[in-house]
Amino acid sequence: MIRKVYICNDSLTGIFSAIYDAWKEGKSGQEVGIALRGHLENRLFCEYTEVSESEKKSVAVERMIKKNLGYDTYWDIYHALLADDCVKADAVLGAMLAARNIPDSRKIMTYLSHPQVEKVFELSRSVANEAHLFTGFVRFCELENGILFSEISPKAQVLTCIADHFTNRFPQENWMIADKTHHMVLVHEAGRHWILAQNQKLDEEQVRRTSEKEDTYETLWKNFCTTISIENRENPSLQRSHIPRHFQQDMVEFDK
Amino acid sequence: MQIMEKLTMYDKLSILTDAAKYDVACTSSGTARNGDGTGIGNCSQSGICHSFSADGRCISLLKILFTNECIYDCKYCVNRSSNDVVRTSFTPDEICELTMEFYRRNYIEGLFLSSGIVKSPNYTMSLIYAALYKLRHTCNFQGYIHVKAIPGTEEGLIHRIGFLADRMSVNMELPTAESLRLLAPHKTRKNILTPMRLVQNRVNENKQEIALAGKAGNLARFVPAGQSTQMIIGATPESDFQIIKVAESLYQKFDLKRVFYSAFIQVNEDRNLPAVTGEGPPLLREHRLYQADWLLRYYNFAADELLDESNPNFNVLLDPKCNWALKHLEYFPVEVNHADYNTLLRVPGIGYRSAKRIVQARRMGILRFEDLKKIGVVLKRALYFITCEGRLMYPVRLEEDYILRNLLNVRDSVPDSVANMKFQQISLFDDVRFREEQFQVLPGEKRTEAERILG
Repeated sequence: MIRKVYICNDSLTGIFSAIYDAWKEGKSGQEVGIALRGHLENRLFCEYTEVSESEKKSVAVERMIKKNLGYDTYWDIYHALLADDCVKADAVLGAMLAARNIPDSRKIMTYLSHPQVEKVFELSRSVANEAHLFTGFVRFCELENGILFSEISPKAQVLTCIADHFTNRFPQENWMIADKTHHMVLVHEAGRHWILAQNQKLDEEQVRRTSEKEDTYETLWKNFCTTISIENRENPSLQRSHIPRHFQQDMVEFDK
Repeated sequence: MQIMEKLTMYDKLSILTDAAKYDVACTSSGTARNGDGTGIGNCSQSGICHSFSADGRCISLLKILFTNECIYDCKYCVNRSSNDVVRTSFTPDEICELTMEFYRRNYIEGLFLSSGIVKSPNYTMSLIYAALYKLRHTCNFQGYIHVKAIPGTEEGLIHRIGFLADRMSVNMELPTAESLRLLAPHKTRKNILTPMRLVQNRVNENKQEIALAGKAGNLARFVPAGQSTQMIIGATPESDFQIIKVAESLYQKFDLKRVFYSAFIQVNEDRNLPAVTGEGPPLLREHRLYQADWLLRYYNFAADELLDESNPNFNVLLDPKCNWALKHLEYFPVEVNHADYNTLLRVPGIGYRSAKRIVQARRMGILRFEDLKKIGVVLKRALYFITCEGRLMYPVRLEEDYILRNLLNVRDSVPDSVANMKFQQISLFDDVRFREEQFQVLPGEKRTEAERILG
């Protein structure tokens, strides 16, 4: 039997469009699959099709998941699809197909013995964990024009996961968080809702011009972090296990 | 005493952070609150860690003292009145500025304000009140505030501060009244427990008032994240058993959210303090107490089950749960597919999260050892104590010595933070008993201490 594999971009719209096409075609993971562009491994007995991506397909799939699998499952799927992983789309499709064969589809995420459900669960958990860490590890600096600006290098595309948190926390501030890994920027204007800008080039010159007081507070903060540590208890490996190196690169207190 | 007037913000922050660093709690958990959209800040139920200092402890709150001037002379404290150190104070404005500017940059989750006692408890607390009032009402700060309540402060003031703070804590300082008399001559047990009781009662009243008024009433919440306390471990000769007995009574009788333990660190020399030994602080002991503390709070263990009179200290090599299991092999092995939640909780290697997942997952089918691994059970510890469908994972013997020997081969029974310490491991002179002669505490008095005071 020939397996039909749909090729799409690594974006929510892309993957949901692929699920839309695959869903109409096959009943099981043996019949259909999804591969991400750039991570393609050509295999025997597979037929590859390019997906025509559209917002309409994506919205339809989103609605279908929420309606048939429940909001909690949608939450897991959404987070899993933001992960840095090349089989995530196939795992989500596999889990959704598996949900057809159980009595209550809404409980699909508790069937952890199914390998693809387990994969989705694992991805969702790791993305949610990373997002949670960034709610603490994001560091803003104040630019000349009063905007709070931050750069992060996350593994997963966590910006949309932390957007509501920061909007609620700093409603009256203008702030921006730039994802250097995926070239996206989260922008919040005081009193408004956040927006996500993709493939945006930042004006490097402008984001280096910090406000007059910025240095003072950065120095105070660095001093605080050094002073608060108790010498007799020092334990760098414990520190690193809590806050791995790749997080430290964008945090002012770890600046040398 | 030196009082320097002209210090920069940088110097002040250095001094008052350095003086506050021995306070343990830096948690920002226990309350969930959305911002109202007009100010700045919110709180998340589980708390958020913002950084970690070189000692591996979490930095969540801006942990500072209001002032390090102090009229008390507690022997273990770096700020004791007889120490010759530079003294300084923040003004309420400076505290607001630091908190707001750090918070905006997402450095911190909120403020943890403690203080030395300047002039009197009431005077100090009224200064703190002024700072917090300004922060909440002028700066419209809606983030987390943890404030220390100083024993001896009048009731009304504690009431008012409680409405501004999320968490309040009164330090137990030391586990028994006897030790307190010896090392903190200006503090008494009664004095410490009074504000604790006060906060507890007020929290309960406040909950009832809010329930009665309903959502529309929109009443202010009093200390919504509850209260906590901390004790110094290893400065005085109490056994682990006495300490967890005290902690247990605090949880049961005072509804505390957390009891923190702080390994004693030698900052002063005093004949009533343990001699300087060149060893580091008793970190392993502190770690064991935290493990036991979790067993009390989340695993339905009682202090009496973990330790007793004849066996008053924790095992250096095994965590308290493994230790308990080895002494109670009659309960094992447990069949994972049938055992109830509370029985699963008692199995070494199964945490409360994995126990919950097991109970959920087995409704869908029979669990095998592979499934347990996915669920998050630590099999290398659990395998001696569980069966799946009546079978053990490997042919192991249910004998104390055999299991102990095998468990000790698993390296992570002692966590990294303590495994690398030079002084630790099996020392004949580990912590408590060695220093006992330094104190004159009657054995009978020690034993009943916990029950006597808290009874």
